[in-house]
Amino acid sequence: MNGSQMQALMPILMLSLTAIVLMIQASIKRDEKATWIITVVGILLALWGAGYARDFSQPVTILLQVDNWGLFFTALVLLASLVTVVLSQDSFSSEGGSKEEYYLLLVLSALGAVILIQSSHMASLLLGMELMGVALYAMIAFPKKGLLPLEAAVKYLVLSGCASAILLFGFALLYAATGELSYKGIGEKAALAYISNPLLVMAGTAMVTAGIAFKLSLVPFHMWTPDVYQGAPTPVTGFLATVSKGAVFVALARIYMDAELHQYESLILALSVLAAFSMLIGNLLALLQEDIKRLLAYSSIAHFGYLLIVLIALTGSEMASEAVTFYLAAYILTTLGAFTVIARVSREDQQKSQISEFEGLFWRNKIQATALTIAMLSFAGIPLTAGFMAKFFVINVAIQGSHWFLLSALVIGSAIGIYYYLRIIFSMSKTSGNDIGFRDRSGDITALLLTVLILMLGSWPQPFIAFAGGL
Amino acid sequence: MENQYANEIWPLAIYFGMVIMLVVTMLALSWVLGQKRREAATNDPFESGVVSVGGSQIRISVEFYLVAIFFVIFDLETLFIFAWAVAFFELGWAGYLSITVFIGVLVLALVYQCRSGALEWGNKTRTGLREDQLTTGEST
Amino acid sequence: MLMINLILILLIGGVVAIFSERLGADVPRKVALAVVIIDLIYLLIALSTIPQLETLQAPVPSDPETWLMHYSVEWIPAFGIKIELALDGLSMLMVLLTLILGAVAVSASWTDIKVRQGFFEANLLWTLAGVLGVFMALDLFLFFLFWEVMLIPMYFMIAIWGHENRGYAAMKFFIFTQASGLLMLVSILALVVIHHGNTGVWTFSYFDLLSAQIAAQTAFWLMLGFFVAFVVKLPGFPFHTWLPDAHTQAPTAGSVILAGILLKTGAYGLIRFAVPLFPQASMEFAPVALWLGVAGVIYGAILAFGQTDFKRLVAYSSVSHMGFVLLGVYAWNILALQGAVMQMVAHGFSTAALFMIAGSLQERLHTRDMREMGGLWQNMPRMGAIAMFFIVASLGLPGLGNFVAEFLVLLGLFQVDRLLAVIAALGLITGAAYSLLLMQRSFQGEPDETRQLVDFGTREMLTMAVMMTALIVLGIYPQPILDISRPVVESLISFSSIVTGGSL
Repeated sequence: MNGSQMQALMPILMLSLTAIVLMIQASIKRDEKATWIITVVGILLALWGAGYARDFSQPVTILLQVDNWGLFFTALVLLASLVTVVLSQDSFSSEGGSKEEYYLLLVLSALGAVILIQSSHMASLLLGMELMGVALYAMIAFPKKGLLPLEAAVKYLVLSGCASAILLFGFALLYAATGELSYKGIGEKAALAYISNPLLVMAGTAMVTAGIAFKLSLVPFHMWTPDVYQGAPTPVTGFLATVSKGAVFVALARIYMDAELHQYESLILALSVLAAFSMLIGNLLALLQEDIKRLLAYSSIAHFGYLLIVLIALTGSEMASEAVTFYLAAYILTTLGAFTVIARVSREDQQKSQISEFEGLFWRNKIQATALTIAMLSFAGIPLTAGFMAKFFVINVAIQGSHWFLLSALVIGSAIGIYYYLRIIFSMSKTSGNDIGFRDRSGDITALLLTVLILMLGSWPQPFIAFAGGL
Repeated sequence: MENQYANEIWPLAIYFGMVIMLVVTMLALSWVLGQKRREAATNDPFESGVVSVGGSQIRISVEFYLVAIFFVIFDLETLFIFAWAVAFFELGWAGYLSITVFIGVLVLALVYQCRSGALEWGNKTRTGLREDQLTTGEST
Repeated sequence: MLMINLILILLIGGVVAIFSERLGADVPRKVALAVVIIDLIYLLIALSTIPQLETLQAPVPSDPETWLMHYSVEWIPAFGIKIELALDGLSMLMVLLTLILGAVAVSASWTDIKVRQGFFEANLLWTLAGVLGVFMALDLFLFFLFWEVMLIPMYFMIAIWGHENRGYAAMKFFIFTQASGLLMLVSILALVVIHHGNTGVWTFSYFDLLSAQIAAQTAFWLMLGFFVAFVVKLPGFPFHTWLPDAHTQAPTAGSVILAGILLKTGAYGLIRFAVPLFPQASMEFAPVALWLGVAGVIYGAILAFGQTDFKRLVAYSSVSHMGFVLLGVYAWNILALQGAVMQMVAHGFSTAALFMIAGSLQERLHTRDMREMGGLWQNMPRMGAIAMFFIVASLGLPGLGNFVAEFLVLLGLFQVDRLLAVIAALGLITGAAYSLLLMQRSFQGEPDETRQLVDFGTREMLTMAVMMTALIVLGIYPQPILDISRPVVESLISFSSIVTGGSL
């Protein structure tokens, strides 16, 4: 490994360094404030690293692929981590009242996500995914109050372990069939292997797809999502929804593109079924929720269904990769915006995330209510928000690929979706007895910044589209 | 092709069948021939004639578990050091540097664990806080 | 630039209205009124300087330079999306109607809204801005944007300041219109993608897409996407079920805007987009659309007859009246289309006034139930007389605007399908039945002497006078409106008959 390769790995190195520094700091003198500052500085350094590494785009060993596309998502994931750090500051308390380790775990999890995004090999994929996942289990179980976080963590741990095992088995089968583990290598040999040994390739691909679909919580691998979303402390839920899911989707897109999987019709069919079920069932089940975190869990299931359409239509359209970039960016920003407000409103007690808790928010804190409204409108795909442009891209790509079946699922799903997003807005506009305003500087500023970003992506997307096209 | 498979596999299949049969036979015989008693003490654990006291769900200190985990962690890390040692000359200074960083991080981790009280035996504060801090934390 | 300014004035005015609440609870409504009137004057001044208005030559649909005004600037070049606004006679009429009724709506909210006036007036102004955008946008992306965005402030108006069952009504309204809008979005995108496939150019411009070549089968489905979106908004049978709820639950000003202006966006969309973009498919579909229109006329009238709620009755009468618009559009000849345009304007005034009367009644009686009214004429003679005027206008009394409109539609329809014209004419009779019933139950009969009611004041009389004048002028001397809309209608018809070979 030479110097330029090291420079290409700048974000990863920065995050690793932050993790080590945090560990040393915790062993010398425990101080939550200092830990918080180190974490913020570390993530900012990693963000700088992501920009710096742009000049050194190259494959680093067989395991990692540093390119602009990956670096963009690296930056996005780091941004999401930063927001999570800001939100976690006074959101929940851990056992013993001190949570230095929490930030350490967060940095490690972000590190895993970055590795996952830049992976070009099954080994680094698994490494990244596990690093991200293992740290997340502990983060979910971090608050000291209540059994829900513990339940969520155990559920996530067990099911996630299962999924990883299936994923690993899938890798093994693919390796047996092709003798390769890098995405490109599998892609090159798979066509040949498919002729001589179709069962092995099919079973391997199916298992890999199932393992990844679990992490993305696509129907029917979605059972864990609502419980984990609800049980985890809200900032962690936001982290899980943005960083974890985003990174896994980027990895999936990379496998898909590098291994040229779009030529296998059975796989396309399987993905189409997953997408259609996710869109419909996700939206339908969201209708029944009374807890806003559970509701967003089901809505995220639906959104990854929409995103899958882009992947399915990848070859039919000239702008599919921009569509992936745009949709993921819009989704991550919107989700962050929503969870920022939820985390602040239910700050006193992380389990108080019933929709009724949000009644009268418009008259209690205008900025955060507006931010949540914009986020919900963005989720629902109303014009002028990032979510609309994202949906615009998806529909455009789907029409170009003539995927009318998926398109109709999308239209039905979105129509259902409007109802539950509006419910939240409506409940905020209600006049409730609890009209005492609250001020909250860090929450307000974060929410405001994210809202501006969402509106900018929605109303003036041209610079971003040009940027995404150049990635 | 399939015939060939069948030729190779049939001894295995027979072996498998025999194992199943043996197990089933043993269980069935003991069920048919064995004594069946239903008395007060039948389901009690055997404690050399002493009647057992208390429930079976007692809390056991997890120290042993922690030690086991440490063993697994550090045992695994030696794997990498072995791999490096085998290829010592081929990897040269770059390899030396890498393994130094690796071992360095490992040492730091050990220090961290030590400081957080993971290696203390008996009643302890997991997070390395003083006792009084811990109690105020819990009362909220 | 003028058209952008029109929208911007309203948008910024809304923000000012919010903050003006700090100066006093009654400041926002004054600000809002001032903003709408400034906007109106600004438009009138600008229109007076346009030379084409004198000659009023027929604009060529596909050539923006022949329109009264045209403004275009790049927005999202990656998709060929532009901020493209244009004005012809039809949109000019609609914009004028919007601003006049906007002022009326502000007046209707004068004493009706008691909490959070600032935010209310802001939502009102923003809705108006969205509607202006719908009437002027000729980039399909921009049009869709305004189409969807104008619903959000409207949603808030119903959801926050509405009556007892507001949550349900607001939700139903929003979901109906958004879901159908989604279908339109798919249609727009499919149209653009097909056009891109043919020419290699990304464009959302109306002027370019008019010449898109689409296979007949595909065109039919795409047309249906537009049709459903517009007919839901119109609202036409069988997509009308959101309307009675939304109208009944909305605050008075909301009902005025909803009935007077928002419904017209659906009709406008049909005339401007659904038919010209897919003339062939529309021609094939016209018989179905006409039957839907007739069904709306009769069914709306029958349901109106059965209502006991004042506002609900007026709402169902809207369904019936907008059925005439649907008939006029799909009869697609000059007489019928002129009638449809006329109906849009006349119905805007008459229904807005009726909703305002309903609002005033509710403010005074705290009920909309007609069984608890009766004899109100004695209590409030001025209101009674005015109600009488608008009720006979609504039933189509000759000499008032609505009569001219319905007569023209029936005349045009008769040339296309005599049977349908005969059935639709029944709508006039049923209309008379429910309108007179409304009058009888609420204003006539035995008065309740114990009631102490305040009659219409100066502000209300002034507002009503504006609308009465408009209806009388429309009824006695409709020529100016017909003159303004005629070139547009003629050019649309000739354009589509070129495409379809003159058979429509």
